[in-house]
Amino acid sequence: MSLWRLEWLRLIRTKRWIALVGVFVFFGLLGPLTARYLGEIIDFAGGELEGATIEFPPPVPADGMTQFVSNAMQIGTLVAVIVAAGALAFDAIPEMGVFLRTRVESVREILVPRVVVTTAAVLVAFLLGAFTAWYETWALIGAPDAGAVMAGIGFGLIFLVFVIALVAMIAGRAKSVLGTVMIAVVVLLVMPIIGVVEAVGRWLPTHLAGALGALPAGAAEASDYAGAVVVTTLAIVLFLWLAVRLAEHREL
Amino acid sequence: MIETRDLVKAYGSTVAVDHVDLRVEEGSVYGLVGPNGAGKTTLLGLLAGLRQPDSGTQRIEASRGEIAVLSDTPRFDAWLTGREVVALAARLMVGEVDDGRVQEVLEESGIEDAADRAVAGYSRGMLQRLGVAATVVGSPRLVLLDEPASALDPLGRREVLDLVSRLRGTATVLFSSHILADVQEVCDTVGIMDRGKLLFQGPITDLLVGSAVPSYLVRLRPPVEPVVEALKAHDWVVGVEQRGSEEVVVRVDRLEDVESRLAPALAAAGARVVSLGPEAVSLEQAFLELTR
Repeated sequence: MSLWRLEWLRLIRTKRWIALVGVFVFFGLLGPLTARYLGEIIDFAGGELEGATIEFPPPVPADGMTQFVSNAMQIGTLVAVIVAAGALAFDAIPEMGVFLRTRVESVREILVPRVVVTTAAVLVAFLLGAFTAWYETWALIGAPDAGAVMAGIGFGLIFLVFVIALVAMIAGRAKSVLGTVMIAVVVLLVMPIIGVVEAVGRWLPTHLAGALGALPAGAAEASDYAGAVVVTTLAIVLFLWLAVRLAEHREL
Repeated sequence: MIETRDLVKAYGSTVAVDHVDLRVEEGSVYGLVGPNGAGKTTLLGLLAGLRQPDSGTQRIEASRGEIAVLSDTPRFDAWLTGREVVALAARLMVGEVDDGRVQEVLEESGIEDAADRAVAGYSRGMLQRLGVAATVVGSPRLVLLDEPASALDPLGRREVLDLVSRLRGTATVLFSSHILADVQEVCDTVGIMDRGKLLFQGPITDLLVGSAVPSYLVRLRPPVEPVVEALKAHDWVVGVEQRGSEEVVVRVDRLEDVESRLAPALAAAGARVVSLGPEAVSLEQAFLELTR
């Protein structure tokens, strides 16, 4: 039983992997489906609103990915935050922290498996969801531009790594799992609000979250995300360094 | 094995550990005694590296991997089995898992029947036993135990005390408790803490002999009140305490006084003496005198 196996068992036995994979794959299935049949769904519901007829343009392949991103990157990110906080806030129950901390040379030995395994699980879940959405979009609507989809997936992955690093840093200070989740959610909610100012928003990590919708739709070029990639990468490195520092200096 | 000098740890205006000079000899079983809030857990936390002192120094002659710590209410991931918890502790301490050794400590701790059940179903006492198993599995050189028997029923407490006794000779044990009988039973050295200060440390026998005022317990036929008044009149008597209707405790500065003068004084007071002799001082009495 190593600390790596401990994290694997945490995912499996607590069924957290089901929550992660379930939410991303669910929206991967639902997104293209709603994009393809939204007009029919509205027609089925009456198709009128106070006398006005609602008409939708024929769906295009990018719509499938946009629908996936708009749902998965909100609910999916929230689930990722909760799963990550459950693993990374290991001092939330001080007696558990004592058990682990007094048996390792450095807190890094505890932190690294938790960050790596949680990140891997979140990224795999996102990839499964994205590929599900991509396949279903191709089957129902048509093939979106493969290069744009791949780039969008890459940016989405970087954003999710940022989310885990953010949670790791917050867990080094917060006193509970709930506190860690709440602070992380507030930070992730505030960033898009700040990002309303376009000159600022294009540099923020949250800008990457929508790339999988914007790139296939032709609303953005991959190069538009360069600034956000640089800032996000720097933030990931900084947050992980801070996570180790804060955990090392924490007193139980 | 452990030596601290002027160790201080404060939380705001509360000084949890106040200039403590602790000395724990290698191979000893050291009992750290004190009321709740005395600073025992904070001191153990400092020694375990879980807290940083504000000032002072501490020297521990054991590497990180040779020290095992057990908190007062151990908790583990609820979805692990007891066996997995002990195996994890062994892996972290010695780098490998000897299944035979894991089984051995599970049996010694009395939880082998529940070893393959999830920890979620364990009672508080079982968690304490599991904590003990996870502590000793790595054969540590230094064991820091924070109130290890506080949550256990009498049988479980007996087993934990036996386990601590068995560690004597193979490990140095620093054992905090507010149950004085436990300390008196298994420890050879005692440290008494109160309000962050270490009031006494040394062999238990030194404490019992040295800290208490010499006193004699006199059993006599009632009425005892006239005898109490007569004894109080003597200048060599420090104090006289009546206990119930047939006992009197006489405190003096020097045992020689009581040995040569008490019998004539009792006779002069007309006391009908049943028995008299030096009063045995318990750790509890010595503790109360020091912390009063």
